[in-house]
Amino acid sequence: MSVEKMKILGVIGKKNLLEKVLRQVILSENMHMTNALSRVNSADFFLPPSEKNIEALEEEPFLKPYSEKRDFSQDEKIVNLFLKIFNIEPQLNKDFLTEEYDYDDFMRQFFNVYKEISSIVDEIDIKLREIDQKREYINNLKYLTKFDLDINNFINMQYLVFRIIRITRENYDKLKRNYENIPAVVLKVAVEGGYVVLISIAPVTLEETLEKIFSSLNYSILPLPKEVNGTAQEVIEQFTRNIEEDQKKIEALKSSIEEYKIKYRDELKKLFSRLEMEKKIEELKSEIAIGKKLFFMFGFVPVSYVYQLKDELEKNFRDKLIILIDDANTTSFGITPPTKLKNFKIFKPFESLIKMYGIPAYQEKDPTIFFALSYMLLFGLMFGDVGQGFILILGGIILGLIYKKTDFGGLLSRLGCSSVIFGFLFGSVFGSEEILPALLVRPMENINKLLIFSVLLGVLLILSSYIFNFINIKNKKATGEMLFESNGLAAFTFYVLLLYVIFRVFIKQGTLLPILWISLLGLLLAIFFKGLLISKLFPQEKAYKKISLNEYVEGGFGIIEMLLSMLSNTISFIRVGAFALNHVGLYIAFLTLSHMVNSSWGSWAILILGNIIILTLEALIVFIQALRLEYYELFTKFYRGNGIEYTPARINSSLLEEEKKILKTNKIRFSWIRKILSFFRFRKGGLGLYVYDLVYSYVNSRAHYSHRFLSCP
Amino acid sequence: MDKIIIYSAVNTKIKVMEREFLEPVDYVNLLRMRSIPDAVHYLKENLYYKKILEEINPDTVSRRDIEDILKRSMIDNIDKLIHYFHNDYRKFVRSLYMKYEIEDLKTLARAIFNREKPQEIETPLYFLGKYSQIEADILFNAGTIRDLIYSLEGSEFYEFLIPLVDGRRENLFRLEMALDTSYFNIVQSRKYKIFPKDRELLKKWEGLVADLYNLQWIYRGKKFYRLLPEELLNYTISFGDKLNYQDRQRMCYARNLEELYQMTLDSPYGFLFKKEEIYTDIFMERRINRFIYYRLKELSRQEPLSIIQIIEYIWLYELEVKDIVAIIEGLRYGLPSEETRKFLVKVI
Repeated sequence: MSVEKMKILGVIGKKNLLEKVLRQVILSENMHMTNALSRVNSADFFLPPSEKNIEALEEEPFLKPYSEKRDFSQDEKIVNLFLKIFNIEPQLNKDFLTEEYDYDDFMRQFFNVYKEISSIVDEIDIKLREIDQKREYINNLKYLTKFDLDINNFINMQYLVFRIIRITRENYDKLKRNYENIPAVVLKVAVEGGYVVLISIAPVTLEETLEKIFSSLNYSILPLPKEVNGTAQEVIEQFTRNIEEDQKKIEALKSSIEEYKIKYRDELKKLFSRLEMEKKIEELKSEIAIGKKLFFMFGFVPVSYVYQLKDELEKNFRDKLIILIDDANTTSFGITPPTKLKNFKIFKPFESLIKMYGIPAYQEKDPTIFFALSYMLLFGLMFGDVGQGFILILGGIILGLIYKKTDFGGLLSRLGCSSVIFGFLFGSVFGSEEILPALLVRPMENINKLLIFSVLLGVLLILSSYIFNFINIKNKKATGEMLFESNGLAAFTFYVLLLYVIFRVFIKQGTLLPILWISLLGLLLAIFFKGLLISKLFPQEKAYKKISLNEYVEGGFGIIEMLLSMLSNTISFIRVGAFALNHVGLYIAFLTLSHMVNSSWGSWAILILGNIIILTLEALIVFIQALRLEYYELFTKFYRGNGIEYTPARINSSLLEEEKKILKTNKIRFSWIRKILSFFRFRKGGLGLYVYDLVYSYVNSRAHYSHRFLSCP
Repeated sequence: MDKIIIYSAVNTKIKVMEREFLEPVDYVNLLRMRSIPDAVHYLKENLYYKKILEEINPDTVSRRDIEDILKRSMIDNIDKLIHYFHNDYRKFVRSLYMKYEIEDLKTLARAIFNREKPQEIETPLYFLGKYSQIEADILFNAGTIRDLIYSLEGSEFYEFLIPLVDGRRENLFRLEMALDTSYFNIVQSRKYKIFPKDRELLKKWEGLVADLYNLQWIYRGKKFYRLLPEELLNYTISFGDKLNYQDRQRMCYARNLEELYQMTLDSPYGFLFKKEEIYTDIFMERRINRFIYYRLKELSRQEPLSIIQIIEYIWLYELEVKDIVAIIEGLRYGLPSEETRKFLVKVI
């Protein structure tokens, strides 16, 4: 319904309580932290002089920001190892955090366990490496199985060197061609891929020469075990048995780890949550100010929760804390109250489109309801179709189930509803106008009426956005601005009068009364000299104290711009009617095509294809066109959207740090468009992406333009 | 018909780029210069090098900077031309980076071996990763030869280097030899889908280069390294144009340099040695390059629409850069221009 009212909650207490207080604040998920030093230094900060506050008053002038940073890398290492070894899903569970506990004591019990377990893990690693080594031996010994001899005789010869080597085929060819010059017996035992495995036997005295020659062939030695007895087959069997024994040992070690798991299971589950909590606490500390003994902490809390939070804190800490509650003041420098939008569930999904433009400032009126109603109206008018609207509703529900976090599903189904309603009014089902009777009007048969109606609707919407602007300015208590700003009362009157003049002269064919054009001119002059007028009439308004020549030049262009935009904004709404016609027109085109096809299958296929194209392409275009009408024609008149979003300190938000970063850019808010496009098989890089980019740059440039436009003095 | 489609555009481009080569008179003028700044000024006034040397200040520039920039321009040239090729032709052009990358890898390995920091390496290593597609930073971070070999995992060089990592043979010589072997193995084993005529030319050309390098290798191996004949033979490139296996084997088993000299005289490459210089081989490399230079010019005249055009351009540019660097080095170390002239590939 509106922007929720905020209070500033201040907590002052002994430093040793800080972590516990923060933990509770995080668990309550209601506090939007703000910088404590800016708060203490702001003009309206007041600490009542009482006995209880003496210490705090003493420390107040000497506060400094909290600068210690605790390093959690060791703790993280421990936690990650445990999660990996014990196969525990990292999950956040509040039950583990609400219990009374001390983090350091809690962690300490794990240090020893960590040492023991990591030594077991190391042991397993060593064993695994041994197994690998033995497997390699087995592999290499396989080349010798065809010789039924004790391989000890080979390996430990006194005057000859025996080895198995591997070289590439090309190099083997070189060796073979020059074999007469090689001082060794070389035997090919296997060919594997591009490699050849060889046995070489050479006298020890020629070992060095041979080594050089083999090196030039880029050989690798296949290692053999040193002390073995028996034939290759026997040795292989022996190693296989060894490996089995080792594996049993590993199993035993693993089960001993399992014992730890059973013993510590409950505590282990708490690990992850508590570490995350500690990290979050550390993050929040940057906003806190500390003195010698005390800490000062401030944050915004919605009015509906502030007393509840205060009670909770008082219950846990009794009188050890000083708790201050003040009204959120919008004027103090450095602390802007955050905006929390509070709307009925029907309008909630539209908040995401509002946020795409900008979040309303704290004192600004929340435009969500106005936006939601007008947006649905515009969308329905442009895309009124019972059948396709129904598909949109279905699609919205499915998307809502799949992507629970985004609002897009809800948005789509609401737009679908509006489309269905207008479908009944226009009598249109899947484009066809023959099935249902029109309850109101058939667009194609009343083209002129429809276009005029849409412009009138635009006038109505523009007028209401002026009124919205008055409310916003009134909240700022700037009467002068309200009267003479380019979207103020003077401009509003001018617009109404202008419309009347147009109506009288062009439609009624009447004459232009002198009083009319004189007052029009007067209003224009008033807007032109707004600086002068405001400083004379309302001298308390700071913004207009100084007036320079520049301002008149700017004002002159401002007036031209205002006149142009009045005209273009109004005419712009003609597109509402045009798109309603377009919907029917596109269908007619496909209907004609389907008549041209002889087979009934073919004509049905064309109709279905046509409907799919209409549904995807037109729905998307209408979605965007309605959005640009809202943003450009209406929002520029009254909406600034320069607020800060209310993000209370809570633990999962730190978990999703990455996601938050992405969310900050508009891209993710648009990602649903991308999702839809890919839904309809427009694959990445194809038409879909192209359309997406167009849409993105289009809407974004509009939004940017209007922002820039608004921020001009 | 197809040939025209492939080569007409790129050959025009190459012809335009070849026009930017230095003229003989430029070499004469460069040799007359008295200092590096003078030479750089001259190059900057010359049309083409003006663009390349734009950023540097001739008065403070060092020999290293010039080498740096010229080397980068070599990459730029290949980058420019590679866009004209597709499919296997493009693969071939990409493989032109390989030779230079291997040179850079060797330089890097030498620096690692001597425990220098990568930043202190004298010559710039721009080609690292150009062919192997390995991030240059990963290679620079290698602290030992072993690390370097492991960081090449995923490239075509890896399988040739991995046998070196068994503790005993991790030395520089083996690594350099393995890298060279890998180059010629890759060159030999690749099979491109290109025109038969092009394939033939490529084979002939690569065989010629292999012959020259084999001769140089056998000569140096005998003279400086005193390698075993078997070793020498194993390290030779196993293909060639005019020299076959028997020729190479005979040369490797030659009893002394005199005998080797006699053997080369019987081969088409007798010009490589001069009897009176047989114990001072400093000009051998120049003779090889000079031979390559004229051979390429000849081939490219004979085969205007063929793969030899791009090979010619890349080689000639490299040789020109070599000459410029040689002149600059001559200036740096105060060599008389008559002496410097002897080291140039081009006959001035």
